[in-house]
Amino acid sequence: MDKVGVQLKVNGETYHVFVEPRKLLSDVLREDVGLTGTHVGCEHGVCGACTVLVNGKPMRSCLLFAVQMEGEEITTIEAIAQDGKYSALQKAFHEEHGLQCGYCTPGIILTFESYLKSNPAPTEEEIRDVLSGNLCRCTGYQNIVKAIQKAINAKGDLNGEEDRQ
Amino acid sequence: MTEQTREMKKKGEDFSVIGKRIPRKEDYRLLTGTAKFLDDMEIPKALHACFVRSPHAHARILSINTEKALSFPGVVTVVTGKELAEWTTSAVMAPPIEGLYPMEMTTLPIDKVRFDGDPVACVVAVDRYIAEDAAELVEVEYEVLPAVTNMFDGMKEEAARVDDQLPTNLVSHQIYEYGNTKEIFAQADHIVEATFSQHRQTHVPMETRGCAAVWDEGRQHLTFYVGTQVPHPLRTSLAGRLGLKETQVNVISPDIGGAFGQKIALYREELTIAALARHLKRPVRWREDRMENLLAASHARQDYVKTRAAVTKDGRVLALEAEIISDFGAYSFFPANYMARVIAMLLPGPYKIQDYAYDVKVVLTNKCPAGPFRAPMAVTSWVTEGTMDAIARELNLDPVHVRQINMLREEDLPYLTATNELYEDITPYETLEKGIAEFGYGEFRKRQEAARKEGRYLGLGICVVVESTTYGSEFYKKAGIPGTGHEAAWVRVEPTGVVNASAGIMGSGQGYETTVAQAVAEGLGVNPEDVSIHLGDTLLAPYGMGSRGARGAVAGAGTAYLAAREAQKKVLQIAAKLLGLDDPQLLKMEGGNIFRRIENEWVQTDLTLVDIAKTAYLNPMELPEGMEPGIEIHKTYDPPPMTYSNAVHLCEVEVDIETGKTEFGRYLIVEDAGNVINPQVVEGQVHGATILGIGGVMLEEVVYDENGQNLTGSLMDYLLPTACEAPTLELVHFNTPNRKTPAGLKGMSEGGVMGAIGAVCNAVNDALSPFGVKVEKQPLSPGYIRSLIRNKEAKNR
Repeated sequence: MDKVGVQLKVNGETYHVFVEPRKLLSDVLREDVGLTGTHVGCEHGVCGACTVLVNGKPMRSCLLFAVQMEGEEITTIEAIAQDGKYSALQKAFHEEHGLQCGYCTPGIILTFESYLKSNPAPTEEEIRDVLSGNLCRCTGYQNIVKAIQKAINAKGDLNGEEDRQ
Repeated sequence: MTEQTREMKKKGEDFSVIGKRIPRKEDYRLLTGTAKFLDDMEIPKALHACFVRSPHAHARILSINTEKALSFPGVVTVVTGKELAEWTTSAVMAPPIEGLYPMEMTTLPIDKVRFDGDPVACVVAVDRYIAEDAAELVEVEYEVLPAVTNMFDGMKEEAARVDDQLPTNLVSHQIYEYGNTKEIFAQADHIVEATFSQHRQTHVPMETRGCAAVWDEGRQHLTFYVGTQVPHPLRTSLAGRLGLKETQVNVISPDIGGAFGQKIALYREELTIAALARHLKRPVRWREDRMENLLAASHARQDYVKTRAAVTKDGRVLALEAEIISDFGAYSFFPANYMARVIAMLLPGPYKIQDYAYDVKVVLTNKCPAGPFRAPMAVTSWVTEGTMDAIARELNLDPVHVRQINMLREEDLPYLTATNELYEDITPYETLEKGIAEFGYGEFRKRQEAARKEGRYLGLGICVVVESTTYGSEFYKKAGIPGTGHEAAWVRVEPTGVVNASAGIMGSGQGYETTVAQAVAEGLGVNPEDVSIHLGDTLLAPYGMGSRGARGAVAGAGTAYLAAREAQKKVLQIAAKLLGLDDPQLLKMEGGNIFRRIENEWVQTDLTLVDIAKTAYLNPMELPEGMEPGIEIHKTYDPPPMTYSNAVHLCEVEVDIETGKTEFGRYLIVEDAGNVINPQVVEGQVHGATILGIGGVMLEEVVYDENGQNLTGSLMDYLLPTACEAPTLELVHFNTPNRKTPAGLKGMSEGGVMGAIGAVCNAVNDALSPFGVKVEKQPLSPGYIRSLIRNKEAKNR
């Protein structure tokens, strides 16, 4: 299949890649842009490991083609910590042992970086409902929920992340 | 030097680093997207492989035509079992175990395929998309054979033969009797029977399998990247089957996105990739997709168990018999009796049952091969505790009472079980008592009674777990299984006073870089932030047995702890010399600072590990006479034949009788994993194991149809628990140290699975008791629960 030029805006930077139109956004981010923090867990949109933010909203990058993404602002896990410093959410995951193997973690972090911006005070039930879009085989979810709740209570820090682009 | 198990004095409070909740060292790279999993590794000029897989459960391979695939632009080669048989040797599984047939398999099948998903050819191309396109162009002509899709049918005379080299599908059969069961059964007041069917499940690590092989033609050396729990044993197998020396192969495991037992065996795909890289003299890589992982990686748990208990009228168990039948799938990646045997071995659980007999059959079927899956013996606790509940039901006794009168107590320990297992330093009775009190058992029964009057059906399930954690070499020898249980570690204090250390275990989420660092820091007397743990590279790490069966703490961290203690001994000898003292006994190190005992007090000296390390490496003339320069300790350690942890799970459920849906209420776990290195990590392991167990009980099921087609090839079909299905778990810790292991460690991380299966099934049975029905198989889907009630209502009509 012939390759086409695509201009992607990822984490505020512009990347020119030359890929087949059928190439998944997840694969392009990983192989052509070189950002491997976006993990591929199922390639059929169920597990949520490959979640990235498109214009601030969580999307499954395994269900998108890179060619669809011209003109969109893509955010990946690599942009969440700033100058080596965790975001409030990442910090809470670290402190509450909200990750084990860490494979699903980037997708969860991105989902909640986005969700908590528009829903700053969700209930546990709401957190679990949103979290149900991301599969984790290691933690049993309990410490993930705890970490998200901790991040919510550590108020103020979350909004600081808006400046990153 | 291998140090045998020794008595440790009970310690606990005097640890300064072991037992601390320290956030994990490995988190930063995992949280920031900078970790390196297999597929994140850049391998310059690597080709990509894709496997062509059988669409049939059982079929003869008549021909494989690769022409079209080979002519597809970008394809480099296509290979089949025939080529691989020239480049590699077969796998032979033939441990000297009575009643077990040896099995052999080629690297890829040549004559016939044995399950839906069996790999028959491998396409290598310049990228993964092209390899997948070309795989569809490989034409395989099959002659479809009748398939064995059910282990009970598989044992029948007329069944198709899964392995043509065997006279039967009953690949393994053992019968044992301890004590005198026949006589006791003949005289018993009651004989209580119960059956337990566990369905087929699979591991589903979020990161699928994969590997990359780089052959260096000049050095005649293979570097093999693979997420593996057991880097060194994998290297031995890989080198052997490629006809290379172990000096010619290095295995490097990057970060692993979950394993759960699925990343132990040397898989046929992995061997194929390594052979291809060597043959092509070009790097080759492979990443499994999710469907391949669900169809063809490894399955587990398909067990049927029937128990008979001879009991007195007051509920005392006099003797127990168990019949175990296990579905092993199509090939032998592990000895066929390996997992079923442990089920039988542990089945008497925490009860005083000396008269015990079992019959274990393992059957080949045309399904994905079985392997160990987090708690390979998972069904055993459900069987034991389900039998206890069956006794209580039939004799109309309280299930807690039946447990209490049969259970081992502190005064019975150490206790040699009917199967010759030594229990010591376990607390089943104490944890049960604590669980009952903490849960409010009496109050629950009142609540249950009141709810029933309102037409709501609550149930409480109890499951007492005795978890085998760390297998010593003696266990392997006794069982006749290849392998040993020892482990190796090294600890190096570098010239600047910081510490590098390694062991043969490899983590896949357990947090070893933190917990092993804590064990080393404790043993040496430094801060854990000054210790760095390096795992997974067979040239860097000492040859160890890797991670399996919850051995990380006792074997991995335990060996590292012992090495660190030896390093400390050397450090203190140097310190004594530098301080002009004769006796290092009057010195200790904490946080990297040397303390001196003056009268009854420890007084900090000016000396630190930095000074001592500098002396050891850069000024060896100052060392005590005869001492070698440097501070490098290499140690191996062989744990006791078996180390046990224990726990009690108490689970409350409510079953909606109209819909059959089960909702979780309170879930309490009282666990005793000995001295724990990092409570936060242990809690995480308990959470993860328990929810994995609950997933298996409630949702997950590998489904094959009558032709052997796997119907659960996506995560839309094979249902994992999400955050909405996972109940919140309450944990209570007992920390009874094991007196024989380093630092009193016991290990854990599989018991949660065992406890969940038993507690949830028992809870649902308790809820259903007014209807006179009970669950005897999993998963406990609403459809299954409804069918039990419906059938009972139909009978009553």
